[in-house]
Amino acid sequence: MGSQFMMGGGVSRRRFLEGLGGIGGSSLLMAGMSALGFGIASAQAAPPKLTGGGGKRVVVLGAGVAGMTSAYELSRAGYDVVVLEARGFAGGRCQTARKGFQLTELGGETQNCDFDDGLYINHGPWRIPYHHQSTLHYTKEFNVPLEIFVNDNDNSYVMFDKGKGPLAGKPVRKGQVAADIRGAAAEMLAKQVKQGALDQQMTADDREAFIAYLVHEGYLTNDLAYKGTEGRGFDVDPGPGVVPGPGKPSTPFPFTDVLHSNAWRTLSSVTAYDQQRTMFQPVGGMDRIAKGFEGAIGKLIRYNHVVKKLRQNDKGVEVAYVDGDGVSGVIKADYCICAIPLSVLRQMDIEVSKPFKEAIGAVSYALVGKIGMQMKRRFWEEDHHIYGGHIYYDDPDINSMALPSTGWQSKKGIILGYYQFGANAAKVSALSPAERQALSAKAGSKVFPEFADNVETSFSAAWHRIEHNLGGWAQWSDDARKDAYPLLCEPDGRIYLTGEHLSYLTGWQAGGIESAWQQIAKLHARVHAA
Amino acid sequence: MRIALSLAVALTALSATPSLAADGQHLFQENCSACHQVTGKGVPGAFPALAGSKVAQGDPKDPITRVLNGRGGMPAFGGELSDAEISSILTYVRGAWGNKAKPIAPTDVASLRTGAKRENAKASLQAH
Repeated sequence: MGSQFMMGGGVSRRRFLEGLGGIGGSSLLMAGMSALGFGIASAQAAPPKLTGGGGKRVVVLGAGVAGMTSAYELSRAGYDVVVLEARGFAGGRCQTARKGFQLTELGGETQNCDFDDGLYINHGPWRIPYHHQSTLHYTKEFNVPLEIFVNDNDNSYVMFDKGKGPLAGKPVRKGQVAADIRGAAAEMLAKQVKQGALDQQMTADDREAFIAYLVHEGYLTNDLAYKGTEGRGFDVDPGPGVVPGPGKPSTPFPFTDVLHSNAWRTLSSVTAYDQQRTMFQPVGGMDRIAKGFEGAIGKLIRYNHVVKKLRQNDKGVEVAYVDGDGVSGVIKADYCICAIPLSVLRQMDIEVSKPFKEAIGAVSYALVGKIGMQMKRRFWEEDHHIYGGHIYYDDPDINSMALPSTGWQSKKGIILGYYQFGANAAKVSALSPAERQALSAKAGSKVFPEFADNVETSFSAAWHRIEHNLGGWAQWSDDARKDAYPLLCEPDGRIYLTGEHLSYLTGWQAGGIESAWQQIAKLHARVHAA
Repeated sequence: MRIALSLAVALTALSATPSLAADGQHLFQENCSACHQVTGKGVPGAFPALAGSKVAQGDPKDPITRVLNGRGGMPAFGGELSDAEISSILTYVRGAWGNKAKPIAPTDVASLRTGAKRENAKASLQAH
């Protein structure tokens, strides 16, 4: 990820920070300090404190998370806000499919979600890393109850069809792979060090400390051998009395089998920044966040209003729309906050400068497919003792499956059957909903023999084929980040863009929220300077 | 399946035989029709039409580069499809739905492969 602010042209840290303080108040200043490595908590943990909007009229386009953040904070600051939303419901990509939810992808058949009551799939955003303090700000603000999302599970399986050797093509517990490959690596390194391989590089004391670390890291014996460890599980679990008593330890997989299997590709020293082990999800579905915003500012939202044209001059903006009854209208405002995804915006009739328009076209959008599979029985818990987490699968049409982090020990559950991207998402999205379900059932059965027999129904979404989104999230090339992105982060006349696409947290709700905070702070500073 | 198909395509490459066209059609339906539709008409306001498209029927460099590297909402297929498969698909597109442009050879595709990649383009098991 790296630093979130580019400081070209010899701008000193101090001048940069002073600039931020000037336009956005102390919260932006704090954010900037954090981004520069001063270590102040989260990047943007709280909205900018705005007061004195003075009734200026702002039209917000799109009632997704970024649009609603803008509307909520601006209306609280005394702005006169109206939100136009193309859909009949708020949330944008923050959606949850449960019984009655309907989706018709472009060129696809209509799906009516028929999950049992209480079951759902978050086919859009589905998890909140603990450091997304901006998202957590609003779950707290709107009293959205959270539960832990199990983002890592040592007892879950990894499945590598394309590996070689006896472990390829069958489910292997992730914790066993981790114990065995790290144990073997630690053993080899420790023995090398012991034999003097690093004598030139290290002092005797450091060598000793390093070997101690390797023994600890890999669960090595006193003679620096890896012979397995309790944490990878037992062949017979320990228990009461004499039998099973201490149980029977498990035997590590042969090192070369693990190496050849490719299953180690799921392992790294720590998780990626946005793949923290500790994550949250709202109890009952991600759309609880959208409902939280809606509860606060729903009265400002005009639903089923599709934007047709956006015009501006030095006096204000004009938005032409068509409402749900097919009636055209125009809304005038002083400023526009446009939270429409760039994938959609680039095909719209908007009055912005030529470079701005070209910049909008410079970004790509991710093709993403997900499917929720309703299972008759929680066989992954009952038969395999896996509670939440992911199944990593090297078939790129599947990529990963996920087991629900909710409804523990209840009767049924929804498994995420695949989560694929790019060309594979294009391919899978050409299938009918029934064919997608069959694809998932077939792959799932390779991991869990019980899978196919337990499938009751499914709901799938291919975000690139969903109207008003046309993609999962923005994907910037390095070049576009340099040229187009900074241009779009600044207003074009009276139009301010916002959304996850204008952040380095692309695809996360936190990106949308923090982008909104940044843009409304700029707008507010301008209104006050005028 | 895909490997067998690639071999078959490679063996008959460069000549737009009926079997090659059929493979191209099959590969198009599998990989492209979700957005561009089996009719090649796309979806107005979302996915461009290929039927009657100037780009599709123009200088082979443009359609090949778009399929290899992606563009806008279109993914990069360079990692997923072989030169033979891409040439087969494009040959089909350039001759279907009333389109009339010359076939594209696998060597044309091979010569345009580059290392250009987008953010997050590398294979990842998890996203957001």
